[in-house]
Amino acid sequence: MPERRRAAGSWQKRGPPSGGRAAARGRSPAFEGKRRVAPKPGEPFLDWMVLPTVGVLAVVVGYPVVYALVLSGQHFNFLEPDPPRFVGAANYVQLLTDPIFWQALANTAIYTFGSVAVAALLGLALALLVDNYASPRMRVVRALLLTPWAVPFVVTAFLFRYMYLQNGGVINALLLDAGIIRAPIAWLNNAAIALPAVMVANVWAMTPFFFLLLSAALAGIPNEVLESARVDRARGWSMVWHVKLPFLRNGLLVGSLLVVINNFNDFGKIWATTQGGPGYATTTLVVYVYRLAFENFDFGYASAMGAVWFVLLMGFALAYLRTLQTR
Amino acid sequence: MLLRKPFESMVARAAALAVALGLSALGAPANAAEPVEITFANWAAAEGTTRPAIEQVIKEFEAAHPDIKIKSEAISFTEIARQLVLRVRSGNPPDVSEVAGNDTILVAQTGKLEPLDAYVTADVKGALKPGVLDQFRVKNQLIAFPWVQAPAGFWYNKALMQKAGLDPENPPKTIDALMSALAAIKRTQPGVIPLGLDTTNRTFSMQSNWPWMQTFGASPIGEGAKGADTPQMKAYLTWMRELAQKGYIDPGRKIGEFRPLAAQDKVAFIWDQVLLQGVMQSANKMPDAEFYKHWGVTTLPTGPSGKSYTFEGGHQLVIFADSKHKKAAWTFIQYLVTSPAALREYTLGAGASLPPLAKLPDPELARKLDTPVINAFSSHIIPTISRPPFGPAFTSGATAVMAGVQQAVTGTEPIDAIAKSIQQQLGR
Repeated sequence: MPERRRAAGSWQKRGPPSGGRAAARGRSPAFEGKRRVAPKPGEPFLDWMVLPTVGVLAVVVGYPVVYALVLSGQHFNFLEPDPPRFVGAANYVQLLTDPIFWQALANTAIYTFGSVAVAALLGLALALLVDNYASPRMRVVRALLLTPWAVPFVVTAFLFRYMYLQNGGVINALLLDAGIIRAPIAWLNNAAIALPAVMVANVWAMTPFFFLLLSAALAGIPNEVLESARVDRARGWSMVWHVKLPFLRNGLLVGSLLVVINNFNDFGKIWATTQGGPGYATTTLVVYVYRLAFENFDFGYASAMGAVWFVLLMGFALAYLRTLQTR
Repeated sequence: MLLRKPFESMVARAAALAVALGLSALGAPANAAEPVEITFANWAAAEGTTRPAIEQVIKEFEAAHPDIKIKSEAISFTEIARQLVLRVRSGNPPDVSEVAGNDTILVAQTGKLEPLDAYVTADVKGALKPGVLDQFRVKNQLIAFPWVQAPAGFWYNKALMQKAGLDPENPPKTIDALMSALAAIKRTQPGVIPLGLDTTNRTFSMQSNWPWMQTFGASPIGEGAKGADTPQMKAYLTWMRELAQKGYIDPGRKIGEFRPLAAQDKVAFIWDQVLLQGVMQSANKMPDAEFYKHWGVTTLPTGPSGKSYTFEGGHQLVIFADSKHKKAAWTFIQYLVTSPAALREYTLGAGASLPPLAKLPDPELARKLDTPVINAFSSHIIPTISRPPFGPAFTSGATAVMAGVQQAVTGTEPIDAIAKSIQQQLGR
C-alpha cells in the first residue's frame, strides 16, 4: 500500500499540537490527527475472532428479543393449558387503549428524566465544590460522597421505605420535632408525592456517579487553560460557566444518556418501596410489565409492552452512539 | 511419530477405564436401601417464627423414615406461586409444595398437580373435619390436601380498649360501633394504630379484604359478581377513605408488618389470622394466661349486609404430577398433617394454627385446642368462612381492585371515578 503523503505543515511533521490548542477544542491531544489503520491483507482471522462474542450475544440478547417480539403477536398465558395462538396486532391495540400503560409511560418519563436531571445537577455542584481542594481531609469527604453508590439498591430502597414510614419513620419524626409539620406525612402512601419521594431515593443513589464522572473530567482540564483564564481575570462563576462547563459537556451528556437507559429499567427501587402503588402512582413501564408477566402470567400482552419499551430504549441507545461519534 | 505414542497410550488407557467403569456399573447390584430425596418447597422455612419448628419436624420425619430424605426449599410466601408456575412450565417443579389461598387454585390451573383422590382412603377422609376437602377440588379432582387451618378473626387489644374508656369484654359488633371505638382509641392514644388492615396491592391483600367488601354487600369479581361500579362497592371505598382520612389505618403496610407492632401494644384492633397469637407471643414472650387477658378475638363487625364473613387462610400441601417419588411425597404429607410430632412442633406450636383433623391422636395435644382463642374461632368465626372466587381472574382482578382501594385510601379522586376505573380494568 503506497504510503500516504501528509500535507505540509500538518501535525505529523511538526508533532502533535500543544495541549492548549487541542484542549481548547475540548478534545484530548491524543485524538488529534489519528488515522484509522486498515487491516493488512492476509489477516482476516482478526475479524473472525469476534464471532464467539457475536454468538454469545445472539443467544443471550438476540434470541430473547426476537422471541419476545414473536410473543407480542400471540395470546399466551402460562396458566392456560392451550398453546399460544396468533392474534396479530390485538395486543398492541389493547395497549393503545390501556390507561395504565399511558400512566406507566408518563411515570417512567418523570422518574427517569427527573432523577437524572437532579442527580446531574447535584453531582456537578458537588464536583465543583470539592474540585479545588486536595487535602487529605477532602479525600475523606470524597470517599464519603461516593458511599451511596456502593450501597446495594435493595438496601437503599428499604432504607428510604422505613425512613418514610408515616408512623415511626425518622423523616416525619424530625419534621414534627422541628415544628415544620403538624401531622405525619404519608410520603409513600399519598398518590401526589409518592413518585417524588421514590425519586429522592434514586437521586441519592445516583448522584455519586455524576460526582465521580465530573470530578474526573474537571481533573482533566489542562492547567494552561485555567491559568490563561485567570490571567484574563476569570473568577468564580465566570470561570465555571465559560471555562469549566464546556469541558464537562461531553462527559455529562454521555453519562446522562447511560444513566437514562439505566433508570428506564429501574425496577428494584420502585418495587421494594411501593410496588408501584399507591394505586398506579409509582407504576413505571417495567413494574407494569412485571405485574402482567409474573402475576397475571399474560406473557403475550407483557411482550407487546416490552416491544414498545425496546423501541424507546433503542432510540436512546442510538442517540448515545451518535453522541459518541460526534466526539 | 515420537509424539504420537504417548498420546495413543493415553487414549487407550482412558478407553480401558471407561469400559471398566461401565462394566462395574452394569454388574453392581442395585442398592434398594438408598434413600429417595424429595424436594419440599415451602415458606415455613423462610420465616423466622416457623423455621426452627419445620426443620425439627423434617428431622423427626427423616429419623422415622430413613428411606426418605427431605430437601427443604425456602421460598417466601409472596414469591411461591410465581416460582411454582414458572418451574412447572420449565419442567422442574418440586415434589411437594406448601400453598395457600388463591395460589392453590392458580397452580392447579397449570394442570400439573397430582390428583390425590386415589391417595385419600376412607380412613384418611374419616379422620378429617367434615367438608374440609371440598374446597380443594378443581374439575372434580382433589388437588390439594389441607395441612393447617388459619381463618381470620377480628382481634382486639383489651388493655388499649380499657385505656380508651371502652368495655374490653365488648368488642365492636358493627361497622358503626367500630368507627366509634376507633375514634376513642385515636383520641386517647395518638401513638397507637387504631386498626391494622393490609391495604397492599397483592392477591393476599384482596383475599384479606374480601370479607370487608362482602359485609358491605360488594362482590366485584366472580360468578354472579355485580362488578365494581356498584353502590355497595362505592360504599366500601368511601368507608376505606374515611378510615384513612381520620388516621384510623396505616396504609401501605403488609399484615406481617403490623404483627410485631401489635405485640408491643401499638395496634388496638387487627384483622388477622389465628396464627397471630403465635407470632405475638414469639415476639413479646407473653405467657398464655396473660395473653388471653390482653387479647380477644371475635367475628368481623357487620356492615350494611348485616352479616359477618371471614376467609380461610390455611395452608395446603400439593404433589406435582412430574414427581418421581409420589409415594414418598404422600408419606411425608401424611406425617406433616397427622403425626403428633408435627402437630406439637408446627401446627399447634410455632404455626399457631388449627389442624384439619376431627380428633387429635394425643389427649395432651387435644387439650392445647381448649383455649379462649381457639374456642372463639371454632364456635363463632369458622362458621362465617366464605371462600372468594379464587382463580386467574381473581389474581388479575386483585391488582385492579386493590389499586382502586389504594387510590381511595391515599388520593382525592372521586370515588365514582375510582369505581368506574376498577370496573373498566376488570372488564378488559
